[in-house]
Amino acid sequence: MALEVGLAVLILLVFVGGLSWRGQDKRRLGVLVAIGLVILLWMAFRAEPGAALFGGSFVQDELAIFSKRLFLLATILGVLASLSLRAPTFARRATEYYVAMLASLLGMLVLASARELILLFVAFELMSIPLYVISGFCKREEEAVEAALKFFLIGTVSSAFIVYGLSFVYGISNTTDLAGVAVALQDGHPLLILGMVLTLGGLGFKIAAFPFHMWVPDTYEAASTPFVAWLSVAPKAAGFVVMFRLYLEGVGGPVVLWVPVAAGLATITIIAGNLMAIPQQNVKRLLAYSGIAHIGYMLIGFAAVSASGVAMMLFYLVAYLFGNMGAFFVVEAVAQSDGSEAISAYKGLAQRSPVLALCMLLFLLSLGGIPFVAGFWAKLLVFKAAAEQGLYWLVLVGAILTVVALFYYLLVAKRMYIDAPERTHPVPVSPFLAFSIFVCVAGVVGVGVYPKPLVMAALRAASGLF
Amino acid sequence: MKGFPTLSVITWAPFVGAVLIMFLARHRPLLVRWIALLSTGVSLALSIWIYATYEREAAGFQFYEELSLVPPLGINYQLGVDGVSLLMVLLTSIVIFAGVFASWTVKERSQEFYALLLLLVTGVFGVFVSLDLFVLFLFYEIAVLPMYLLIGIWGSSGEIRPQGIFGWALRRTGVGTKEYAAMKLTLYLLFGSAFILVGILALYVAAGSSSFSFLEMEAIQFDPALQSWVFLAFYVGFGILAGIWPLHTWSPDGHASAPTAVSMLHAGVLMKLGAYGFLRLGLGLLPDGATQWVWLVGTIGCVNIVYGALSAMAQTDLKYVIAYSSVSHMGVVMLGLATLTENGLNGSVFQMFAHGIMTGLFFALVGLVYEKAHSRAIFSMGGFGQMMPGIATAFTVAGLSSLGLPATAGFVAEFLTFLGAWQSAYSWWLFPGVLGAFLTSVYVLRVAKQIFWGPKSADPHFQHLPDAQGPEWVALIILVGVLVLFGVAPGIAIGPVDTATVPLLLRLGVLP
Repeated sequence: MALEVGLAVLILLVFVGGLSWRGQDKRRLGVLVAIGLVILLWMAFRAEPGAALFGGSFVQDELAIFSKRLFLLATILGVLASLSLRAPTFARRATEYYVAMLASLLGMLVLASARELILLFVAFELMSIPLYVISGFCKREEEAVEAALKFFLIGTVSSAFIVYGLSFVYGISNTTDLAGVAVALQDGHPLLILGMVLTLGGLGFKIAAFPFHMWVPDTYEAASTPFVAWLSVAPKAAGFVVMFRLYLEGVGGPVVLWVPVAAGLATITIIAGNLMAIPQQNVKRLLAYSGIAHIGYMLIGFAAVSASGVAMMLFYLVAYLFGNMGAFFVVEAVAQSDGSEAISAYKGLAQRSPVLALCMLLFLLSLGGIPFVAGFWAKLLVFKAAAEQGLYWLVLVGAILTVVALFYYLLVAKRMYIDAPERTHPVPVSPFLAFSIFVCVAGVVGVGVYPKPLVMAALRAASGLF
Repeated sequence: MKGFPTLSVITWAPFVGAVLIMFLARHRPLLVRWIALLSTGVSLALSIWIYATYEREAAGFQFYEELSLVPPLGINYQLGVDGVSLLMVLLTSIVIFAGVFASWTVKERSQEFYALLLLLVTGVFGVFVSLDLFVLFLFYEIAVLPMYLLIGIWGSSGEIRPQGIFGWALRRTGVGTKEYAAMKLTLYLLFGSAFILVGILALYVAAGSSSFSFLEMEAIQFDPALQSWVFLAFYVGFGILAGIWPLHTWSPDGHASAPTAVSMLHAGVLMKLGAYGFLRLGLGLLPDGATQWVWLVGTIGCVNIVYGALSAMAQTDLKYVIAYSSVSHMGVVMLGLATLTENGLNGSVFQMFAHGIMTGLFFALVGLVYEKAHSRAIFSMGGFGQMMPGIATAFTVAGLSSLGLPATAGFVAEFLTFLGAWQSAYSWWLFPGVLGAFLTSVYVLRVAKQIFWGPKSADPHFQHLPDAQGPEWVALIILVGVLVLFGVAPGIAIGPVDTATVPLLLRLGVLP
């Protein structure tokens, strides 16, 4: 509970600080936020699994701790990168931005520990609603408003789905306690299954699995890039944690029910995400679609319905965090310099800014799953988990579609390394952004070269579920 | 075996070279070349040393090294060489050493060029020496990817004009350009690696999810049904890299567009990676699958031999001729593996080596001719033998080896393979093989006559061309020397190879 209380205090501090701040430029608040979050992260790394609170509805197990570290890390990176934003509207309204972001983070932290349907749903909404607000942060831009509205409408509909599904779950199992739901699932009542599947549909919107993905590209394109980097990782990770809690934890034998559903969802998500990414000309849209495909790969781990599947998916999330956020940060750096998010803006980047281009290449290779960067292990471990379940066809689909993914990642690499540059000056990178990129590169390469500790941590986190 | 980690040094020396080049040799082209030479020289010296000190009586895997990487998943960094990989390591180090000399004249961004080239070589060495399937796959991927940038940046675009009813569609793809070739090659090979990955994971799970070690899996008798489909997965996966028909089309485009050293290395060594992987994992781990599917492997090998040779005859671009001849010769390799006889397997492995050296030499020569004459169009050139006698002689030696003339390495390889084909269960395989050898002599001699020994071209561009110079000579002499040496004394190679193929055949149940 200490983390959540600490974060609530931080939110209040930022709020009060923002109100009492004199002057137009409130971006400095971000430094306070970052420092606060680093302290919280340090606390999270010292946290030990503890007893359940509030009659079992709030647990602090290994999974909760692992995912809280992940959320905090992603948020720190997102906040650091946002310090480089120069727009005057952002500077003036930074308080709102950070408070909303932290409120959403609070939702995630509670979500990771929730073992009770109502707490789970409330935490879920606490996480989601600030996201709509931040998406439409630049309220004078038509695109941002459109994106926020789209995100909001789809998000609310999906919440409705979740609540509707959960009402069935409650109706059949007569309890809101997840342990009770798991027990009720042993009988396999059709209405209970229906409720669970409806809920999965709602969750599908949140994690952006195909065919529930359509808000993703528009929202990513219109919202500010550091926020998108965070949006593409943290809330999705939270969505997956909910899925573990709801569908896998303590269910036992009937867990195989979800194999065909999850495997089917994974297949279409991987295929659709990768294929739709090919024609994209805007890097953010490209990353949006490739992100959808990555969700599909993570669902492979879910489809394995085993401790190793969940562990490998957690591993995947960490690899994805570094690779995807890093790629978005490079996009932000190029956009700040050249004012363009088109793939053509990357022409000859290797000759203008060799280091930045190398970072981007590493991120893309990690996302594409190439050895010695994190993404390779992630894909491989997820495949291994699926193979253990006998889902060889799923592994083959995933592995072949990786080739498609590499096609479009390599198209970006081609612009950077093979094409001649259109401009000559190097891309300036502000120090905060450079630092975030550096952390991501360190993560991608570090995990890629020495994955053992992270694998162990992920296995430990998942061990309690089964 | 504790002691000096020879195999690791061979594998990682080029990588260290690449790192040194990136950090120390900015804007110092000569230093770049010396570092590259030194690091590949270390690998060459050590691979000759292990070749000499390998204990043939003991056979099996020697120079063993092990290091635990990810214990919970059973991934270990496990290296060792047997007779086959020994020869392959030697091949790789010879070709890359010659390749460094052959690409001495690369001017544009030479620092990155050499760094990527050395990185690639580390991947190749790694595949040949790893005994852990997972680590093998890891190195395999490293061997594939730098190729994209190497071809994309330093490659050359050919003058291909797609014709026929699908010409309009092919033109839209940009066929013939280096970008097209680079992307095609990379995607084909990664597509193949997807199948390999599935196969490896299937074996890993079937073996109890505890170890990726080749040695442990070798001791397991897998279920025949599993063997059957995993064998096919390995065949497609490794076969793509070995250039099996009809999945070979990346190879002519890729090799024709790639810069000289990359063509040498890719056609000379990387295609062998496919054949080696197929031999090691396909035949080595899946005996039932192998006996079940060799008819397919051998038949497609025959198609490769004839189809590749016919395609090579039709080309007007010198580099494409050589590239298609690789497709044809890789057919011989696959045919030899499919015979499941001692002679066939020995011939096949010997052909991997002989073809590696020979095709490396060919691509080096084509690169030299292109650099001097700025042309690859066979029928516009002529009579170069008078101006560049050295290059002409080397080309002729390579050509003679290619068509299997006695006293060259090519003869030994083809003779053994065809002998094996005759002894195998499908003795008709001999005929396409021999037909291929005949067709090879047609296209090779035709090209050699036209460019080097025929009447002089009237084109004024081709009047005063220099012969090979300085470092280029070194590359030619090394490769020609090896080609003749192994042709005259094939026992040097057959000896160790035999120590590896006989136990393999025993395991397959073919030998009594």
